[in-house]
Amino acid sequence: MSLLEVRNLRVTFDTETGLVQAVRGVSFSLGHERLGIVGESGSGKTMTGRAVLRLIRPPGRIEADAMTFDGQDILHASEREMRALRGKRIGMVMQDPKYSLNPVMTVGRQLTEGLRLRDGLGRADATAKAIAALEAVQIRDPGRVMDAYPHELSGGMGQRVMIAMMLIPEPELLIADEPTSALDVTVQAEVLSILDRLVRDRGMGLIFISHDLRLVARFCDRVLVMHKGLVVEEIAASRLLDAKHPYTKGLLNCLPRIGGPRGPLPVLDRAGI
Amino acid sequence: MTLIEIENLTVTFRSKGREVRAVEGVSLSVGARESYGLVGESGSGKSTILRAICGMAPVTGGTIRIGGQPLPTPRGRAFSTEVQMVFQDPYASLHPRHTIDRTLSEPLAIHGMPDRDARVVQALTDVGLPPAFRFRYPHQLSGGQRQRVAIARALMLRPKILLLDEPTSALDASVQAEVLNLLNRLRAEQGLTFLMVSHDLAVIDHMCDRIMVLQHGRTVEEIHREDLAGARMTTAYARSLFDASADRMLGGTTETAP
Repeated sequence: MSLLEVRNLRVTFDTETGLVQAVRGVSFSLGHERLGIVGESGSGKTMTGRAVLRLIRPPGRIEADAMTFDGQDILHASEREMRALRGKRIGMVMQDPKYSLNPVMTVGRQLTEGLRLRDGLGRADATAKAIAALEAVQIRDPGRVMDAYPHELSGGMGQRVMIAMMLIPEPELLIADEPTSALDVTVQAEVLSILDRLVRDRGMGLIFISHDLRLVARFCDRVLVMHKGLVVEEIAASRLLDAKHPYTKGLLNCLPRIGGPRGPLPVLDRAGI
Repeated sequence: MTLIEIENLTVTFRSKGREVRAVEGVSLSVGARESYGLVGESGSGKSTILRAICGMAPVTGGTIRIGGQPLPTPRGRAFSTEVQMVFQDPYASLHPRHTIDRTLSEPLAIHGMPDRDARVVQALTDVGLPPAFRFRYPHQLSGGQRQRVAIARALMLRPKILLLDEPTSALDASVQAEVLNLLNRLRAEQGLTFLMVSHDLAVIDHMCDRIMVLQHGRTVEEIHREDLAGARMTTAYARSLFDASADRMLGGTTETAP
């Protein structure tokens, strides 16, 4: 049975200028695998990820024919039931550590807060577990990082702290929204291998949201390509180069390549899509 | 002819009694109409080199010469007609309460140039924006359009040198392609010299003839475009950047892409 099942998901916002449909009927199912969602800004990829956790505030509305997580209906679940899922069974790594970590709390307090409130651990146990989590994401000096405030960390460190925080409750599903876009390429490779190991070792399901088609292609098993709120193509990552849809092809071709031709880069023909 | 000459540049920031060497002993020279790239990870000092040229970083050693002349401090008016910079984030680099028209005509007003109206319209046309955009505010434009405005602003005084600090890293892939194409077209049309910073090796490779790899403020390697494409780098660090580049992530099979 699949871990997550989404059928005909729609996210709608009421705005002054009328209804805006950010997601217009997205369906997918996810097992214990790495699913990539790719698209440009405004394609609805982030909204799709947030809708799974029902993290869309009014006036935004989430509608779907069905949305189930491990057999449980998450479309009609109460707020209380959702709270039991969020973090504990479905984790989410947000895009930017600058905005997603609490700026006036030390990393240590943020990491242990959940452990102490949710799991009722004592201070020493919680600290030990938090340090172990930081070590798991290859932070070399976890003691120093525990005492640091978010602004004292680099982008890569902050990102790893967020990943550590999400992994402490050992969720069955992790939604990672551009977890590496703020990182340097070498750090990016490190963070990806951490996520990869977690999928393999823990059998975690992963939804990897990114604008970088090539990165997703290398890292994920399956890719959904989104454009204007719709999935335009679903394809096995290894077969991405055989993509049929003109938008997918356009996204692939407009990237410069090392040693590629020097002429103008092919530009996405928006009229044809 | 050498247009930009940097010799032994050192930039030191002082904060809380601590000294941080952001750039240490970097030398480079860029010929007229050449396009030169600086790559490295965050903290490698690549952006600081551009800022040092503009007089926006505390230079503590070495010399910078433009067209053979050492730069005065403060840089002065003549400098802005020679050298202009395009910043990474078009959301942050345009004044949110100034119309595009005001943003573009300000440098003309400061330098007392005539025909402001015609020049603003021409600048917008040059970067592929409709002239009616001059009455808009930055928030009424998309990210790519804003970066086009930022490029137009940099070109208002017809400089010879453009310093490009990650000009496309805040943009979507398809918009990045449009902006890179625009920059290449403008370089050919106006005979510009580029000094471009990026963390994306594929972007730098597409745009630049020669490339300097930086790490911790020092030069690691200077490499020609052909040698980069042929993976003929001599240092392990340059190779690790090359291997980790998103471009390599399809296992080198991108050549067969339709």
